[in-house]
Amino acid sequence: MHIPDAFIPLGQALIYWIIALVFIALALRWARRSMGEEKIPLVAVLAAGIFAIQALNIPIPWGTSGHMVGAALAAIVLGSPYAGVFVLTLVLLVQGIIFGDGGITVMGANIVNMGVVGGFVGYYGYTGVKGLIGNSYAAAFIAGWASLFVSAILCAVELAIAGTFPLGLGLTMMGTYHAVIGLIEGGITAVALYLIASARPDILERPAGVSA
Amino acid sequence: METKQFVIVGIAIALVIAIAAPFLASGNPDGLESAFFSIYGAKPFMGDELDEDAAGAAEEQAIATTGNDFAHEALMPDYSIPGMDKAGEVVAVVLGTLLMLVLVFGIAKVSARSDN
Repeated sequence: MHIPDAFIPLGQALIYWIIALVFIALALRWARRSMGEEKIPLVAVLAAGIFAIQALNIPIPWGTSGHMVGAALAAIVLGSPYAGVFVLTLVLLVQGIIFGDGGITVMGANIVNMGVVGGFVGYYGYTGVKGLIGNSYAAAFIAGWASLFVSAILCAVELAIAGTFPLGLGLTMMGTYHAVIGLIEGGITAVALYLIASARPDILERPAGVSA
Repeated sequence: METKQFVIVGIAIALVIAIAAPFLASGNPDGLESAFFSIYGAKPFMGDELDEDAAGAAEEQAIATTGNDFAHEALMPDYSIPGMDKAGEVVAVVLGTLLMLVLVFGIAKVSARSDN
């Protein structure tokens, strides 16, 4: 879902950069207040793992593929939507500059879509669904799916504003493909949360597992 | 699990994924690219066939629409090393993964809450 430079006019790209910078500042404030030093190795490993798994495009029907984004996982494991912003901003920065994956002028839009929306929908989707049904892993699956789907819908709207996609067709196609790709996001989010919770239940900000 | 052990296992898993990714990853366009190619007539919405010529023309058309012709020469474009094949892709993704580890560790270190 990495938007390339050509898809958004510079003026609009600048606006997304401004929005992204506001959230990056908030993410740094979160880190200063809430990310304890003991979390540093975990954040680094999580970011490295998210970068690696983003390179693994999994085929879906219709000659298309998709990969995990990982903002929801980072937000759930570290207990804040800003963790998703923090990790994805750095992942997108390296992907854009060194690997040409996602544009430079439009990086703000990619940070907003994947980091901000992914982090917020992932985190609040997880806490909300977990509160309703009690099961952490089902909640992680649903939150992961929703985080990717909402990112894709917002991306379609941005590209409609940009004039690159017609709104209806863009929403239909982005929605269809990412409804399926979301299953990859949800599945890996749930499995990774299970593995992390099994290895180190203490590092999760909120206890995982089935709450009473 | 001790923190040190947890970190080592985490890095090992990330590296295994990084090494395997170039061999396992699908070369199909991703969701956004597929939607783009479909809208610009280079690929059917629910079909497999990608018309390479039409795909190239679509990219030109997007630049014409948005006026954003910014181009950036990436060091390892599309997770590959120019002139190298699969081995270059493995090196690219592994280097990226290690870079993330070091970069995020450094940024997290300077931005984290100090507990002493």
